Amino acid sequence: MDCPRQVQTSAFIDGELDEHASREAERHIAGCADCQAFVAAAADVSERLRAPGVRVAAPAVLRSAVQRGLAVEPAAGGAGKRRRRWAPGGFVWGAFSGIGASAMAAGVALLLLAPPSAASFANAITDAHVHALMDGRVMQVVSTSHHTVKPWFAGRTPFSPPVADFAAQGFALAGGRVDTVQGERTAVIAYRHGAHEIDLYVWPAADRAQPAGGDRLGYHLLAWRSGDLAFAAVSDVAPDELKRFAGLVRSERE
Amino acid sequence: MDDRRVRFETLALAHLDAAYNLARWLSRSPADADDIVQEAMLRAWRAFGNVRTETIKPWLLAIVRNCCRDHLGRRAQWQPLDDAQAQALPSDAPSPEDEAAWRAERARLDGMLGRLPAEFREVLVLREMEDMSYREIAEVTGAPIGTVMSRLARARTLLKEHWNSGGGHGLP
Repeated sequence: MDCPRQVQTSAFIDGELDEHASREAERHIAGCADCQAFVAAAADVSERLRAPGVRVAAPAVLRSAVQRGLAVEPAAGGAGKRRRRWAPGGFVWGAFSGIGASAMAAGVALLLLAPPSAASFANAITDAHVHALMDGRVMQVVSTSHHTVKPWFAGRTPFSPPVADFAAQGFALAGGRVDTVQGERTAVIAYRHGAHEIDLYVWPAADRAQPAGGDRLGYHLLAWRSGDLAFAAVSDVAPDELKRFAGLVRSERE
Repeated sequence: MDDRRVRFETLALAHLDAAYNLARWLSRSPADADDIVQEAMLRAWRAFGNVRTETIKPWLLAIVRNCCRDHLGRRAQWQPLDDAQAQALPSDAPSPEDEAAWRAERARLDGMLGRLPAEFREVLVLREMEDMSYREIAEVTGAPIGTVMSRLARARTLLKEHWNSGGGHGLP
């Protein structure tokens, strides 16, 4: 009962055929009862496997077990020769008050006191930043000139984010993009500081609550308001450097 | 702060769910999946060199898959389960509104997928649950793209046949 072209039909469903082969497959399926039945079966299988709850999320205890395991593991082969103690991983939202037990405690208190939306908004911004780095789509407009980057946002965001270059101070404008954070289009201005990327998220302050500043997974987030715009700078640079960067952006606005 | 370690942890933990899900479906045991993922993450960290961020997921899942093979190979469990084993599978805990129905459907799916040979099971998990391209699946499984393509077609037919033959837990 299996049509010899079933494999092509299967690849067609997955969008893995080139344009020509796609058209051919489409024509074939239109006239082949076997392949039509296969398409229906594949759709059914797909629906069941993609149903909520089928893909199993890692238990939280596993996440922390992995982090603990990595913490006691020496640095990876090759480059990292130094053996370092790894700060506690996970969701530690703290102030930039330094390190150690008191900062940890402060972080925990902050987590408990801050409204949950502020923490999850901050999480969403950090996640957007990390995903942009991972996907390699750090910039949609690549330019070191604010004359190019600023107009690029016109028509892409309903507000005009301030764009300035701080290359002389060590923070070079690299470009911009628009990220969707919690369903809202957010302007992102990308900077480079040495080997680090800094993303500056900008949105109208009236649109939503201020995110909670803090650390997460080695990334720092600083949030502030200036006029009717809200800002969040996210990066893995040292907290002091991020503060300096934020200071430059603020002073530019004033 | 150790940049490499931070980078690895950020990248790898972003795919922890995918790693766990693959291990869970290949081992069919939450306890084994835990062990496999922990081992895989350590192996990945030791091997973490110049992996490009956009290829980290297939790279990581390939390690998870190899860990599964090692882990289960030792216990001769890489082969498909027979029906009795498939029905005895433990079920993962958290459930949506209708817990009983979800568990029944889930147990049935466990049984169905469990009876597929691992080569077919893994391509289905990677394609349908991780939405990976054939190229990425080929990278994870070490099989040529043509093989991925034909295994996926076969896996779909087999799973549908199992389902129609009313196997697993005999629900309508």
